[in-house]
Amino acid sequence: MDFSVVANNFSYFMLGAWPNGPLGGAALTLVLSVVSAIASGVLGLVFGVALAMTRGAAHSVLLMGLGFFRAIPVIMLIFWTYFLLPILFGIDVPGTGTVVVALSLIGGSYLAHSVHAGIASLPPGQWQAAAALGLSRGQALRLVILPQALPIMVPSFINQWVALIKDTSLAYVIGVGELSFVATQVSNREMVYPTEIFLFVALVYYVFCSTLELCANRVAKRFGTAAG
Amino acid sequence: MKKLRLATLLALSLLSGLAQADRLDDIKKNGVLRVAAFDSNPPFGFIDPQTRQIAGLDVDYAKELADRLGVKLELVPTNPANRIPLLTANKVDVVLANFTITEERAKQVNFSIPYFASGQQFIARKGTLSSPEQLGSLRIGVDKGTTNEIVLREKYPSAKLVAYDDTPFAFTALRNGNVQAITQDGPKLVGLLANVPDRDKYEIPPFSISDDLIGAGLPKGEQRLTEFVNDSLRELEASGRAQAIYDTWFGPDSRTPLTRIFRIGDR
Repeated sequence: MDFSVVANNFSYFMLGAWPNGPLGGAALTLVLSVVSAIASGVLGLVFGVALAMTRGAAHSVLLMGLGFFRAIPVIMLIFWTYFLLPILFGIDVPGTGTVVVALSLIGGSYLAHSVHAGIASLPPGQWQAAAALGLSRGQALRLVILPQALPIMVPSFINQWVALIKDTSLAYVIGVGELSFVATQVSNREMVYPTEIFLFVALVYYVFCSTLELCANRVAKRFGTAAG
Repeated sequence: MKKLRLATLLALSLLSGLAQADRLDDIKKNGVLRVAAFDSNPPFGFIDPQTRQIAGLDVDYAKELADRLGVKLELVPTNPANRIPLLTANKVDVVLANFTITEERAKQVNFSIPYFASGQQFIARKGTLSSPEQLGSLRIGVDKGTTNEIVLREKYPSAKLVAYDDTPFAFTALRNGNVQAITQDGPKLVGLLANVPDRDKYEIPPFSISDDLIGAGLPKGEQRLTEFVNDSLRELEASGRAQAIYDTWFGPDSRTPLTRIFRIGDR
């Protein structure tokens, strides 16, 4: 094993061609992860609450929409958004944007069900007690239900976000230069060090994911629940 | 409201279709030429360790085209399989990525006149492969979405093919013993082998099973852009620049010396 190949290309792994080109490598992985995590969290909350609050036709439509995004592979959604939208509608979505949108939609769909389950896990007495106090359904949700339900959901959010960090590597299919893509470029030029290079790549993903877990657990502890 | 939005979308897509009717004008107007090039196939297109930008023979041609237009060059990394989708989805204006000209592909994209020629060859561990007759009984690694895959399937249907994303992946499979040989255009294999430290364990048997011409891929129906590329290529040959580009990557002083058998305009 000769890890000098990692040392020699370290800044390319971390930053891509930046500052003489677009940001890439581990830094781009981080940007894609953070933006998609926030967007998927917001989408998950909105749709999860919507699932809990709707009945009948609206509920079915919502379930179908979420079911669609849960059922297609991330790599397909990325590929088709990037190559098909311009052909069908003339809409040109840049590569990084495509990845963020795909990860947010799919992550959001998964999280919506976690949020819904978290809300449903509270005994119906909570809603009734809130109603007895004269709170509207919206107020009950905001003041009584969510403060209790959100901490229950933390492990699901961490699960989803850890999966999301790793899924950013699927951006390679449309040539977005995140960590695994630039690692492949270097590996393909150097030819004989795939083991060293991809061990290093695995280590970086491990550091990213476990850092997220550590931070999230700290935050969760403050709110009274330990996750994981 | 929904209907209106849909109609607007449709109208927009039609309009954008019209606006693209002449890509050459668009390129000049936007001031950018978008070229898809390989990022993993020395010496045609690879990441230069010093500049951390894509460099190579194909990139040199791309630079010449952008210079002639007086516009900025924007390189988009591609693998073999993404070359046609990148053109049809209007993500790039030109593909310069060791793109073999075939009738099948010409139904979806325009091709320039050829600027390079090569034949399909093989790399194997020394002593495993000496004649084409053996191919039918081997496991062979190919690159997804290349003509090499198609030619091999047609000529040697009994060979077991394993498709990889690109040549270095296939070569790794050869090193690990997953396949007994890999196939690609000869010059590309020469370039690949030059980068391998233990290259004396491998050989490129001296036969080829096809005769390929490499051209620039352009969006279907973009006649003026195609003419521009053709004229530029002819001028590059006339001025000696094409020879200079060739010598940079395949000349006697390069890492991969290879006699130039094809000049632009030969066919």
